Amino acid sequence: MSHSQLASIFNKDEKKVDWHDKALWFVRHKRDKSVHEVKNWEELRNLGHGIKAHMLSNLDVYLKEFEANANKNGVEVHWAANAEEHNQIVLKILQENNAKKIVKSKSMLTEECHLNPYLEAEGLEVIDTDLGERIVQLAKEPPSHIVLPAIHKNRHEVDELFQEHLGTKPCDGDPQYLTGEARKHLRQKFIEADAALTGVNFAIAETGGFVVCTNEGNADMGAHLAPVHIACMGVEKIIPRQEHLGVFLRLLARSATGQPVTTYSSHFKKPADGKKMHIIIVDNGRSEQLSRPDFRASLHCIRCGACMNTCPIYRRSGGHSYDATIPGPIGSILSPGKDLKQYSTLPFASTLCGSCSDVCPVKIDIHAQLYKWRQIITKETPQPFIKKKSMEIMGSIFAKPSQFETVGKIARWSLRSLPKSMINSKPNAWGKARDLPLGPKESFDDWYKNREANKTKND
Amino acid sequence: MSSRDHILNRINANKPELLTLPNIDASIFDAGLNVMAEFIKKVEVVGGNVLETTSNDAVISKVETIFPDAQIKYSTIAGTEAFNTLDLTTIKKSQDLEDLDILIIESDLAVAENGAVWVSDKQLPLRVLPFITKHLVLVVSKENVVPYMHQAYEKLSDTSGFGVFIAGPSKTADIEQSLVIGAHGALSLTIFVK
Repeated sequence: MSHSQLASIFNKDEKKVDWHDKALWFVRHKRDKSVHEVKNWEELRNLGHGIKAHMLSNLDVYLKEFEANANKNGVEVHWAANAEEHNQIVLKILQENNAKKIVKSKSMLTEECHLNPYLEAEGLEVIDTDLGERIVQLAKEPPSHIVLPAIHKNRHEVDELFQEHLGTKPCDGDPQYLTGEARKHLRQKFIEADAALTGVNFAIAETGGFVVCTNEGNADMGAHLAPVHIACMGVEKIIPRQEHLGVFLRLLARSATGQPVTTYSSHFKKPADGKKMHIIIVDNGRSEQLSRPDFRASLHCIRCGACMNTCPIYRRSGGHSYDATIPGPIGSILSPGKDLKQYSTLPFASTLCGSCSDVCPVKIDIHAQLYKWRQIITKETPQPFIKKKSMEIMGSIFAKPSQFETVGKIARWSLRSLPKSMINSKPNAWGKARDLPLGPKESFDDWYKNREANKTKND
Repeated sequence: MSSRDHILNRINANKPELLTLPNIDASIFDAGLNVMAEFIKKVEVVGGNVLETTSNDAVISKVETIFPDAQIKYSTIAGTEAFNTLDLTTIKKSQDLEDLDILIIESDLAVAENGAVWVSDKQLPLRVLPFITKHLVLVVSKENVVPYMHQAYEKLSDTSGFGVFIAGPSKTADIEQSLVIGAHGALSLTIFVK
């Protein structure tokens, strides 16, 4: 289904859309307050951009440096060309360690690779331990936001889910009670786990260490209790030096939620005595994205979600309308690189207002890339007949000023004079759920000419 | 070809020309903070409490008045062994720490701009301790509080095998964006500054 079709499903519940819109705008607002406290924030963004751009231009060298240092630290490094190989490596490590129960902290990469169903089919128990991720896992849904996975669910839905799956008492959606019950339920899972899986926020070439950021402490509870820790990362998570963490940790949480830093910024380097640590480095289309000069900056992304929180389309269409692991503006420039046909409607799910680029902590030109994907998609994938025709007609009208003027006159007159039933009739998508403005009597051109004429008169 | 070589070759073929690595000039971010005032403010913002203290003994007696019902207690700071009800040498596996009520650790680095306190293998006999405890108490000296993360990493040449910046107690807002303190990690964080 196209983005607009999926969005119209989300849009059926208007109250929920309103809540979703406002809740995310509130997060955007918290981000603004937080970044305005930082002196020279724009310079910090420039550094984030510059370090990532440099990293990509030397990525193979840094990956090798990272691998060598991680090996020295006693960490085993694995390489996966695609999702399938990633899943096979995880399974192999688990089998070698006779692990049956796995706790997972948030990792968009394992979502991208569809790891959970793969492991479950092998008879393993995989428990997502981030509260939002656990909620969507119980609901058998994918996350709808990369930082706030269950933002599309209200408290009453969570209440019902927990009653069904965790045996909680009805509580009218009390978040305090529900979180407390989730803590008890997941504490048991942490204690019993045979292996812990985490994502990676930053992997440092210079030290071979990696950093995982959480607010709940779930990555640490899993990784320090289980005998085996598997960390999965895309190739682009590399940063050259440890001092660069000073830049990225200042950018990440402020952009994501407005916090000055996440509660836990955990620096893993060597396994604890008697324990094992594995890192899986995954390509899965990233090296191909690197080959595209117009789109390679999308690999700067540090997964803060700021572009989603600010996007007028995302806020009103919900994360599931993108039908991709990474939704929102950044997802709309990453996904077409993986499958142009499947994701061909995503770059059109934007007003091109540019707000996403303005808030991006690593200055990805998201809206410019959305526009560039549109150019490619209209050439390479079949477009609906009406859209194609209307674009052709518009093109020819805009090409001839006299024609444009005549059409403008007719349109202004129509908007003033025709009955609403006609203006808002079915073929006019703009008249859906909104009234069009009254047509002004004169065009901008007329207004400007009159103004100039009056000026000379007054002189 | 192995996947490793395949990936590295493709990246080598597809990467752009080498771009220069920007230098970090930390001085441009210096807003002239009152370091201690900012630290206290930010710890409160992230959900923790800050108390001033003069000695390790004073920390212990204050902790005992804040948490009178605590049963299982452990401290790693010098001269407070009598406080401990737990003998780590008898702990066979980290899972046995599940009922730990209070953990007190001394840190040698904290950051004013975000209230984060650094704890690493240097202070942690077991890595899970600051996460599994119900209540976490951290002790830090004033002279070890730096203004920004940039200065923190200047001091952190070695992050040891494991280290973590802790900013406040564990928290979540995953249910309708309502902030709840106490997710999987500590339910409260108290920081003593000496």
